[in-house]
Amino acid sequence: MFADKVEAKDFEKMDPEYQDLVRKVLTIQSDCEIGGPHLYVESMLPSAPTRLDKLIVARTATEEIDHFRKFAHVAGDIGLDVSFVLSLPNQKRYVETFRGEIKTWEDFAVFGCLIDRIGRYQLEEFIGCSYRPIEPLLPDIINEELGHIDYGETQTRELAARGGESKEKIQRALDRWYTKALDMFGHSVSARSERYVYWGIKRRTNAEARQEYIKEVNPLIESMGLSVPDPLQGRHYL
Amino acid sequence: MTQVINAAELDAYLLQVVQALHRTVNYALPRLNDEKEADKALEDCEEILTLVLDGRVADWLG
Repeated sequence: MFADKVEAKDFEKMDPEYQDLVRKVLTIQSDCEIGGPHLYVESMLPSAPTRLDKLIVARTATEEIDHFRKFAHVAGDIGLDVSFVLSLPNQKRYVETFRGEIKTWEDFAVFGCLIDRIGRYQLEEFIGCSYRPIEPLLPDIINEELGHIDYGETQTRELAARGGESKEKIQRALDRWYTKALDMFGHSVSARSERYVYWGIKRRTNAEARQEYIKEVNPLIESMGLSVPDPLQGRHYL
Repeated sequence: MTQVINAAELDAYLLQVVQALHRTVNYALPRLNDEKEADKALEDCEEILTLVLDGRVADWLG
């Protein structure tokens, strides 16, 4: 297990596999940060229920753009240009979850509750990361993601509590995003996932992170009076 | 190792964008009851966000 810390100036001296994995993770993280606003700004900014909600949509997108900027900066320090992800069509995003569009407030709420939570999980993977320039980014970005999660969770809980059609709509949104959420962790048996852990770039394997996520969100969903969807239904990565 | 020029310029540009968006949102938040002011701020946010999400980096840095 690799236990050293690597600075940007030493990056090119590292094993090619390490360099490849760091480049890959920075590219995917940058793509995921900007992928969120691409999903919801166009539809949700004009149609959120209240002016306050609209401003929160704008602030959330702003923070995600800033997260992209910070990861792009770290990537730039090793000569990696990730700016191409700014203009990627949604259908070409690295992670399937971002290949679509959010068109309902229920979807926006559940996205914050479930998918931004995965954003937090992915960021927590980098705590203690062997590639040292990533770690200083984490406290502020994780703190902002916690705000997105809290807002999404509050909205989801309120929509569920209204009962009737509102509850049915939020359950349907939950059913859609829960599957995508579990898939975001990738294959449980993944050689690459193990190499990330070996090189100290990530802390947990895909399977470990997914299990922890399930343990966190299932009781949360039940506490809202909603049903936990079938964890295997429609999944692409088991 | 030096940062690639494109990334440094992009960083500076996006930082300005993020600061402008935060200023606009923070201006509007205490003025939610002023329909005209809040809606103008939202229009400004939409305009800036649309520009960023178009992702025409070459135009921004040109």
